[in-house]
Amino acid sequence: MNGLRLTVNGLPVAEHVEPRTSLADLLRENLNLTGTHLGCEQGVCGACTVFVDGVPVRSCISTAVSCSGADVRTIESFDADPLMGELREAFNKHHALQCGFCTPGMLVMARDIVERLGDADEERIRLELAGNLCRCTGYAGIVKAIRSVVLARQAAGTAPSLGAPQGLGPAGSGHGQVTEAKPRQAMTPPIPASSPKSAKLGKLAATAPSVKQSFVIEFPPETVWSRFGDVPAMVPCIPGASLVGRTDDGNFQVSMRVKMGPIGAQFAGTANQQRNDDMLTGVIHGSGRDERSGSLARGELSYALHEMNGGAATRVDLEVTYSLSGALGQFARGGIVTHFIAAITAQFADNLKRSLSPEEAPNATQQPRELRLAGSMATALKSWLGATIRKLFSR
Amino acid sequence: MKPVDFRYSRPGTIPEAIELLNEGAGGAKIMAGGQSLGPMLNLRLAQPEQIVDITAIPALTMVTEERDAVVFGACITHAAFEDGRVPDPANGFLRRVAGGIAYRAVRNRGTIGGSLVHADPAADWITTLTALDAELIVATAQGERRVALEAFMMMAFGVHLDDGEFLAGIRIRKFSPAARFGYYKFCRKRGEFAEAMAAVVIDPALNIYRGVIGATQSRPLVLDDIRDLLRGGGESSAPNGAALARARDRVADLGIDDDPITDAMHGNAFARALEQVIA
Repeated sequence: MNGLRLTVNGLPVAEHVEPRTSLADLLRENLNLTGTHLGCEQGVCGACTVFVDGVPVRSCISTAVSCSGADVRTIESFDADPLMGELREAFNKHHALQCGFCTPGMLVMARDIVERLGDADEERIRLELAGNLCRCTGYAGIVKAIRSVVLARQAAGTAPSLGAPQGLGPAGSGHGQVTEAKPRQAMTPPIPASSPKSAKLGKLAATAPSVKQSFVIEFPPETVWSRFGDVPAMVPCIPGASLVGRTDDGNFQVSMRVKMGPIGAQFAGTANQQRNDDMLTGVIHGSGRDERSGSLARGELSYALHEMNGGAATRVDLEVTYSLSGALGQFARGGIVTHFIAAITAQFADNLKRSLSPEEAPNATQQPRELRLAGSMATALKSWLGATIRKLFSR
Repeated sequence: MKPVDFRYSRPGTIPEAIELLNEGAGGAKIMAGGQSLGPMLNLRLAQPEQIVDITAIPALTMVTEERDAVVFGACITHAAFEDGRVPDPANGFLRRVAGGIAYRAVRNRGTIGGSLVHADPAADWITTLTALDAELIVATAQGERRVALEAFMMMAFGVHLDDGEFLAGIRIRKFSPAARFGYYKFCRKRGEFAEAMAAVVIDPALNIYRGVIGATQSRPLVLDDIRDLLRGGGESSAPNGAALARARDRVADLGIDDDPITDAMHGNAFARALEQVIA
């Protein structure tokens, strides 16, 4: 719990809230100011828009503690505000609301548009309102209402007000007391205590996204083949992966830590492999669950080895197929995950080569604490970008 | 209340912020305006153990003018650019770009630094500041390091920052008065993330003829020298249609998205950005 002081509708407020409490929840749940509405809670619908330090802000995606020391004004405090009075009347006259859910946010934005822009025409009003959704009116009445107030104020010669001078940082942020850094105990690693359950290893749909990659390695096929068969030696070559143990049915327990922007996931799961000694091909199946996000990942890595240079080298053809479901699945726009997997594969190839070379083995694999997108990721992307740029200028 | 439980701290200096990051050992996340992080917290896509709010660090909301560049603190909002509350070394281009980011209520809190570190390929600053060849100032335990934006972004949502580092400032060179800037993006709706976008910067005095294609599935695609695409436009009075069509087809044929419709959108966005500088 963090102590929080701020001004709401002109009155000082002191509350103890969890840091994860949004400004909207503070207003609605702690202060009972339910005129601020919550629609999407991801900053898209605009229903929760309130004034913070005199400018409109989304209260659903701003934490209350970050607005410590700020001056917050909600729809409840505008009864005596002349401009809001004009807007209310105009909304009434032009049928600018039906169910009223979006109205508090609409009025906050409308007041900002009139004050800040002064001479907004219909097109500008529509652009400025794009962040506030209304499912009843089709916006026509809202736009007309705002435009009528703009015209009335122009006729009356009311100049737009610049409002309070604003800083350059996020509205409402940075006023509160600063916290001092204190040493604290080391975190325990977030690996789940229970051993991961063996997930079903069904075949992936034929439409699952896949990434193909080939590389040549300066070792005879037999050496590479035996390394692929040695799962404990293979797993550390996969960036972010580590071997946890073995299950009774012969599957390997693995964990894989992935970091992508603000998203961190730790997949715990199982892997097994099937090999064809005659064809020098194999498939590694893996699946795992990230406990925190409840996301499920499944993947297959197929490999085929081909002799090169009369047995002195081996070409490895890899194909990675994967599927991601749950919370992370929503986020993973197709191509992004494909590039991500391509980068993992490139780093895997590097690590595999390194682990096989006698002078560097056995501890030579680059083993990042998590899959972090650096190093060979950049190489992979550079080659992709390089190829596309070359294509552009070769005509 | 939707996010996971996390600790929150608001350091007053850069070294304190770095200390907090190091204590967090990878579980700490920097937050400025929180306009990208907020939705991800609410969706529980991001589940940090600790949030380090850097908005109380005065240096991060400062603007420093150098002889040939302007350095912006990472916590300066899009709205500050839009309103012209900060100088614009690119002759009004930054102001124009900022005004098209998301919605006003988001721009009042969303920051230039936060947007760059979040590194959504479809975000405006990633593409436009790559076109301006911006340099980033990263705060580290040792002080700072500088890196070109082009090298900073590794992939979608992936940037070159270690656990104990964060973005402190953005340095943008001053362009000459004759510089021209083009920018076009396709959005389903105003304020939505773009499906295709392109930026073009022409500054003959600085020998810059750069085009950037954004909203790809990874990093922006940089075309370092687009002089050959300008022929048929520029000073001559010849109609630009042929040059624009050629530029559009070139970009569309890059196969950026492996999808003919999206590729055509990239091509058209590029042609429309180019049109703004050769018109």
